[in-house]
Amino acid sequence: MSATDPTVAGEMYGRVLTATVVGIKGHPVTVEAHVGRGLPALAITGMPGSSVQDARERVRPAVEGAGLTWPLRRITVNLAPANIRKDGPGFDLPIALGVLAASAQVPARDLGHTLFFGELSLKGDLVATPGVLAVAIAAARSGARALVVPAGNGAEASLVEGVEVVAAPTLGAVVGFLRGVWRPSDTAPVAPEPDAIPSTPGVDLADVRGQGAARRALEIAAAGGHNLLLVGPPGAGKTMLARRLPTIMPAMTRGEALEVTRLHSVAGLLMHAGLVATRPFRAPHHSISGAGLLGGGSGLVRPGEVSLAHHGVLFLDELTEFRRDAIEGLRQPLEDGRIVVTRATGPVEFPARFTLAAASNPCPCGYLDDVRRMCRCPQNRKESYAARLSGPLLDRIDIRLAVPRLSRAELLGTGSGEGSAVVRERVEAARDRQRARLAGTPWTSNAQVPGNLARRTARLTVQAEAAVSRAVDSMALSGRGFDRVLRVARTIADLEGSDRVQAVHANEAITYRGQDAAVQAVAG
Amino acid sequence: MTGGKAEAGVRPLRRPSDLLRETGVAAGGNRLKGATDRTWPPAFAARSEDRAARAAPRAALVVLAGLPSMTAGRLLALSSTAATADACLAEVRDGGAGTAADQAVARATRPDVEWGALQASGATLVAVGDADYPVALLDLFDPPAALFVRGADRWWSRGGRGAAIVGARRCSAYGVEMAQTLAGALATARIAVVSGAARGIDSAAHHGALDGGGSTVAVLGCGLDQPYPPGNRKLLDAIAESGAVVTEYAPGVRAEPFRFPARNRLIAALSEAVVVVEGARGSGSMITAEHAVELGRQVFAVPGPVTSELSQAPLALIRDGASLIRGPRDLLDEMRVLNDGGIDDDETTIGRGGGPAPDPVDGGGAESGWSPTPDERAVLQALAGAEPADVVAMRAGLPLPRVLSVLVGMEVRGLVRSVGGRFERTLRSAR
Repeated sequence: MSATDPTVAGEMYGRVLTATVVGIKGHPVTVEAHVGRGLPALAITGMPGSSVQDARERVRPAVEGAGLTWPLRRITVNLAPANIRKDGPGFDLPIALGVLAASAQVPARDLGHTLFFGELSLKGDLVATPGVLAVAIAAARSGARALVVPAGNGAEASLVEGVEVVAAPTLGAVVGFLRGVWRPSDTAPVAPEPDAIPSTPGVDLADVRGQGAARRALEIAAAGGHNLLLVGPPGAGKTMLARRLPTIMPAMTRGEALEVTRLHSVAGLLMHAGLVATRPFRAPHHSISGAGLLGGGSGLVRPGEVSLAHHGVLFLDELTEFRRDAIEGLRQPLEDGRIVVTRATGPVEFPARFTLAAASNPCPCGYLDDVRRMCRCPQNRKESYAARLSGPLLDRIDIRLAVPRLSRAELLGTGSGEGSAVVRERVEAARDRQRARLAGTPWTSNAQVPGNLARRTARLTVQAEAAVSRAVDSMALSGRGFDRVLRVARTIADLEGSDRVQAVHANEAITYRGQDAAVQAVAG
Repeated sequence: MTGGKAEAGVRPLRRPSDLLRETGVAAGGNRLKGATDRTWPPAFAARSEDRAARAAPRAALVVLAGLPSMTAGRLLALSSTAATADACLAEVRDGGAGTAADQAVARATRPDVEWGALQASGATLVAVGDADYPVALLDLFDPPAALFVRGADRWWSRGGRGAAIVGARRCSAYGVEMAQTLAGALATARIAVVSGAARGIDSAAHHGALDGGGSTVAVLGCGLDQPYPPGNRKLLDAIAESGAVVTEYAPGVRAEPFRFPARNRLIAALSEAVVVVEGARGSGSMITAEHAVELGRQVFAVPGPVTSELSQAPLALIRDGASLIRGPRDLLDEMRVLNDGGIDDDETTIGRGGGPAPDPVDGGGAESGWSPTPDERAVLQALAGAEPADVVAMRAGLPLPRVLSVLVGMEVRGLVRSVGGRFERTLRSAR
C-alpha cells in the first residue's frame, strides 16, 4: 500500500508499523500520520499513555536535529487499534517516521514490512529503550521482515529468530536506511549461547565457612525446588548463604533464559546486554510496596520483583518486616507461578515462578537460643514477632532451618566447603531423576507436587514410614508438616540416587520441619 | 568436687561482708545470731472485739496488706505502739502512721467490703499466731503479718520440708530441663518445691513438681486476683489445686518490679535450701540466694558454660561457696535424703519436657538396658556441648545426612535437644 497518497490537495498520509508492550507481550500497533490544513499542531489519538504524549515534544526537535523539516501544518497521529493502551517511549521513532512519510521526506517503499521502535533524544539520537525483546517477538510473530531499533538494543533484538534486526544510532541513520544510502556497519552482535555457566565473581558456595548443615539445606532446596527459611541471629550468615542459592541451581534452558531476558527487558534492566544467562537473584528491601514486589504501577504496568525473580531466587531478608499487603500478595505466584495485575483496561499477567528464600531473626533482639548472648525480649514482643512468621506463607516453605552464630574458633576450625560447581552437579543429577519420575505429570520438581500426591507417590520404605509417624506423634507434626517432610524426603532420596525413600532420608527431612521453641511453651 | 554425701553440715558461704555462720539443716532453720529480737505482739491478729467488726473479724489485716507503702517491716515497727491490727489501721487512718498514700487508701477503703471480696474469691487469710502460719517465716527480720492463701496444702504445719528452685525468666532449654528434673526429684522425695511462678525456671520447677505428683507452693509478688504473669493462669490454678498459692499482698495489689525482692525473701524463708538454676549477673535469683544466706538456709547452684550469660549467677554463687548440683542425686544428697527412698537419677521422672513426652513406662530411653547403636554412641561422644550438626559429623567421622538422621532419632527419645541450630545432650542421656 502506498504510504503517500495525496487524495486531497494539500493533505498527506503516512503509515508506520510498530508495537506496544503490555505486560511482557508485544502487540502490533499501526501509527498513522496525517498532515493537513490548519494551524500548526500535533495531536495524538488512540489511547496514548502519558509517556507517548511526551513524544509530541520530543519528536519535532529530533526531526529538525536530523536535518529534516517539520511540517508547519496540522498533524494528527493515530495509534491503531484504539482499544489497546499505548505506553512507553518507544513510539518516538515510528511517530517521527510517520510524519516524515506523510510529508514525503522518506520513501514509503519499506514501511509496509518493517517495524520501527525506539526513543528519540532531542538531538535525534536513538536511545536504548526497554521492552525491545518483547517487540522483536511480536515482530517475528506478525511476519515482519525487519525490525529497526536503537543501536543499544541490537543485541537484545537479535535473540529472536526470524526477523532481520537493523540497529540504528540516530533518526538520521534510519532515514538514510529508508532512502537506501545507509546500512548498519555490521550485523548486530550475536549474543553468546548459555553453554557454560557464567558465574558471578565472588559469589560461590565455597566462600561460606562452616555452616555445613545450612549448605546441605541449600543443596536440597536447589535440588527439589523447595522454598527455604533461615532463622538465626544477626551475623549468622543467612544473607550470605541465600545469595549462593542461585549458584547451585541447574542452568536455565534457552527457553527459560529468553523468558527471563524478556522480563528484564520490559523492566528496563537490560540496556546494552544480550541474553540473561544467570538465574536472577532479587533481594528487595523490606520497605518495598505491594506494587513494587508484585508488579503494577499506573499507566505502564511494570513487572514486580516476583517476576524479575522468575526462574531465579527471590530473597526476603527480615521477613517479618515486610508489609502485610505485599506478603499476602505472594500467595498467587507461589501457588500458580504467575501474577495477574488487574487494571481498568484489563488484567495484565506476568510470569512469576521463583524459589523463595527468606531469612528472619528468631525474636526482636535476634539472640533467642544463642549460646552466648541472652535474649532480652519481653514475652509479649516475642510472641507478636513469632506470630508474624506464621500463616499461609510459612506453609509454602518446605525447608526451615535454624542457623547458629558460630564462634571464631568454630569458623576457623572447619575447612573450606565445596564449591558451587561441585554441588550443582549433584543438584542437576537429582533434578534429572525427578523429571524422569514426574514425566507425564504437570510438575517438574518435587516442591510443586501437592500433598496428597506426594503421599501416594513418595515410595517410602516401612522404616521410613515408621520414622515419620514417630515424628507426627512425638513432635506434634501437623498434617501439612507431614506433607512438607515427605516432599523434602523425596528430594533427599533423589540426591542420594535412591528410588525409595529410606528412613535415613525421612529422618533428615524431619530436621527441616522447623520448630517452635518448646522451651517457651513450657516455661510460660 | 568435695561435699555431697558424707559431709556433715554445710560448708559456710564465704562472702566478704558476711560473718561466718554455722548452719544447721533443721526444719525452720536457726534464727540469725545477733538479729533484733522483734516479733509480732501476741494478739496482733486476733479477731476484733469490736461488735461492728464482728462480721469481718480480721478485715483490718486485709486493708493493711493493701496499703501501697506499708511494708511488713514498717507495720511491725508500728505494732510496737499499736498492738493490734485494728489499732494500727486506726493510726494510719488518723494520720499518725504511714505515708500520705497509705493514709488516703486507708481512709477510702471499707474493711467489710474488702473482707467480703476476699471471702468471695475463695482465698483464706492466714495470720501470725494462727496454727497454719508458717513459723519459718518468723526467721525473717520482717515477717508478714498475714498471708493470703489459695489452695489447701499446709505442708509447713505438718513437719514437711520445702526447697526453692529459682532462676531466670528468659532461660534456656537446658535450664528448663534441670529445673523440671530437680523439682521432680524433690517431689519424689516428698519435699515441697517453693518458687515464684514467674516465667522460665520458676514455671518449669512448678511443672516438674506437679508432674512428679508432689507439693508445690507459688509465692506471688502481687494480690491473688492479679493476672500475673500473663499466661500462667492455668499453672496457678493447677498449683492451687494440689498445693498452695500464697502472697503477703491483698487482692488488688498489682505486680510491680519493686515487690519482687520482697517476695523473694518469703521464698527463701519458707525453704530449707534455695537452688539457683540459671540467671544473668544481677538476676533476681541472686537476691533470693542472699536472703537464704542471711536466714541460714543452704544455697545450691547448677553450673553452665562459662561463656553463657545465663550461667553467671550460679557460677558466682559456686565461687562463693554454694554447693554445685549436677543433678537430682547431688541435690538429694545435700538435702540428706536417704537412698532407701529409692531415688535414683535413672528413675526421676521428667514430666512435660522441652521436647516430646516420654513413655512413662520406659522413661524415654532411660529403660534399663538401653544401649546406643554404634552410630548413636559416636554421635553422643562427639556432642561436647551445644554443637552444630556438621561439627558433630566431622568429629564423629560420619557423613552429615546420617548424623542428622541419628540426631533426630535421639531427639524423639529425649536424649538430645535442638536449640537454635545446635544440638546438645539432655540430662537423660548422661549416663
